[in-house]
Amino acid sequence: MNTHPLLIFIAAIFPHNIALTYILGMCPLIAISKNLKTAFGMGISVIFVVTLTAVINWFVYNLILLPTNSQIISYVIFIITIAASVQLVEMLLERFFPPLQVAFGIFLPLITVNCIVLAVSLFMVLREYDFIKTVCFASGSAIGWAITIVTVSAIKEKLLLIADIPKGLKGPAITMIILGILSLAFMGFGGMVKIR
Amino acid sequence: MNLITPVILMNIILFIITVLLIFAESVLVPHKICKVVINKERVFTTESGASLLSFFTKNKIFIPSACGGKATCGHCKIKVLNGGGPILPTEEVFITQKEKSAGIRLACQVKIKQDIEVYLPEHLFEAKEYQAVVEEISSLTHDIKHFTLKLLEPKTINFKPGQYIQIKVPGTEEFRAYSIASSPRQNDRIELIIRLVHGGLCSTYMHNVLEVGDKVVFTGPFGEFFLREESDKEIICIAGGCGMSPIRSIILYLAELGMPRKVTYFFGARTKKDLFYVEEMTELEKKYPNFKFIPALSEPEPEDKWEGEVGLITQVVERYLDIYMNGRYEIYLSGRYEGAGVLESYLCGPPPMIDAAIKVLTKKGVHIENVYYDKF
Amino acid sequence: MFKKIKKLTYTRPFRIIINGLWKDNPIFCMVLGICSSLAITNRVENAIAMGLGVTFVTVATSVIISAMRNFIPSRVRMITYMVVISTFVICVDQFLKAFFPTISEAMGPYVGLIITNCIVMGRAEGFAMKNPVVYSFLDALSCGIGYTYTLLIISIIREILAFGTILRYRVMPQTWTNWVALAMAPGAFVLLALYLWIMRTLAKVEPEK
Repeated sequence: MNTHPLLIFIAAIFPHNIALTYILGMCPLIAISKNLKTAFGMGISVIFVVTLTAVINWFVYNLILLPTNSQIISYVIFIITIAASVQLVEMLLERFFPPLQVAFGIFLPLITVNCIVLAVSLFMVLREYDFIKTVCFASGSAIGWAITIVTVSAIKEKLLLIADIPKGLKGPAITMIILGILSLAFMGFGGMVKIR
Repeated sequence: MNLITPVILMNIILFIITVLLIFAESVLVPHKICKVVINKERVFTTESGASLLSFFTKNKIFIPSACGGKATCGHCKIKVLNGGGPILPTEEVFITQKEKSAGIRLACQVKIKQDIEVYLPEHLFEAKEYQAVVEEISSLTHDIKHFTLKLLEPKTINFKPGQYIQIKVPGTEEFRAYSIASSPRQNDRIELIIRLVHGGLCSTYMHNVLEVGDKVVFTGPFGEFFLREESDKEIICIAGGCGMSPIRSIILYLAELGMPRKVTYFFGARTKKDLFYVEEMTELEKKYPNFKFIPALSEPEPEDKWEGEVGLITQVVERYLDIYMNGRYEIYLSGRYEGAGVLESYLCGPPPMIDAAIKVLTKKGVHIENVYYDKF
Repeated sequence: MFKKIKKLTYTRPFRIIINGLWKDNPIFCMVLGICSSLAITNRVENAIAMGLGVTFVTVATSVIISAMRNFIPSRVRMITYMVVISTFVICVDQFLKAFFPTISEAMGPYVGLIITNCIVMGRAEGFAMKNPVVYSFLDALSCGIGYTYTLLIISIIREILAFGTILRYRVMPQTWTNWVALAMAPGAFVLLALYLWIMRTLAKVEPEK
């Protein structure tokens, strides 16, 4: 099974979109998709963090955990490296790039517990990706997620202006419907790339 | 399966990461001592960097929060007076335009970077807790009950007439505020007057569930609405419905002092069956010539055979003030005074009543700074 | 007698249980833990495994955090939660691998994702950190059960419509055309939207402004 890394990248964005086919990263999608600007900032930060942590975790897994036969603790180690690297990035940003911190850094603490960060690391292990593929898969997934949150928030902004949504459907429920329709649409990308 | 290597490895990695983080923090994060001022009176000092929410938690001030500082639940709203920095995009989702201009922020998103001043509802941090036992429950009207609570621990309470306490609804973290209806001189028990609100959490409990002998937990006393004792002005009290509570406390207290100031008490209700404590007040009226009680009904039923004042309580107040201003109302005015500017006023009732009463009083020349009120 | 029953509804344990099961149900009121509730509910057996797994992790974490709440420095409490949570998730994962290999296979990485399930962290931070062990236990348990029954409802509907079976026993006639979309993401989204709509109307959740 030797898929070209570029195919993995494309597949992760469209047909295998992590939000719309694997249903991951829903909490932020529901909670902060009301405002396009916020969604955009969140999306950018996620792209950065997911790629970074996947790379770190790839090294940790392949250089430390595999040789010592300690895969059993990979959950703990993954989540800890994610938390630590996010915190580190936050401190670096605050110290050296304060404008960036205000624009994107504030999303960082929220990302630690976003499931897609951990999910990407777990998928990477499960599918035994090599380094290049990991980078492609991680950045692709994150870009795909960012596209989803931006799209959803744009739709929601419009919807709030024009639609008369029933009371119980307001808030999270209508977001789920939007996601459902988007997800149907993304199924159309299914024939684009064939990977396992 | 060999578990020893993974466990040792995990500890090593955890240790390395912790050391790394502590090192990075000491190098990267500027350390500064900041002041946190809560409600203008409590001053804390803390190191910069933490969020307000974690600062509160550390100081055992528990702000409601469900998501744990991820800005996804929007529960930890507090009022930041200054030093909070600009509002962040993560917060904007939860904060309405109106709240924004009032300085409402999410405590989990505000980082302490400089001296900061915040406002918190008093019960969150100044919760002096009292245990009490229900001594007596009686009905005053069809939907208003009177409760006497005897204090168990602490055994006495000091409050100013007009202040309120907050009753903890058992089984929840909810508190509901009720004014004390008894005189502060009786400091081993308090009395409350509570109307049954349809669907109300606490009033339903107090009315339908509570029995004599049950324990009640409350915090207090709170509130800026209380009798100004340093003044010797003539007093006008206006109350509607359960607004009777704090006013009764004020009047009982003054009665115990021998009614040193002139007091006129206007009490409004809809029909005769909504009136209560008329006898008690009339007794006081007989006993103290300085005290005048004027009940008024807004919609008296024919069978009420009501001979007293009719109309909204504010209209009644306006009529009386007119007489008073013209110097004709000599029953309770000796004529020493020249205008309504010498009056002090205490109002308690539903917001529309208060607003209307303030309008009437100021129109007749009562100085706004001498008008104290409690809306509920 | 009547008053006694009423009084019972005003006790702490009763309120905690009702809140977890109904008033503050993690899924339809707080809308937490959606990812797993959708991703694995196309089969009832997965939903049971996931629900019980989350319940176990939430209860264990809440009890431990609540017992240690006075000793955890607030600076490292997030990391503490994560270490505790992921340790229990490893237990669940190993348990499934050992005794239910097919379910473990089907759930794939979603078992590991219990770590980032907001419910676990939410109960630890929102409740266990400031309440004694017994209440934290009750709270976590009722939230876990509230979560589990929601997963069950969704998965039963999905499995019937998408495969015509419940726990792989055929319940629909052979002529039944499987609604394949319900086994996949779009069906899951729309179904949850409908579920939220019904439940939030019933539980009278106030929509946020």
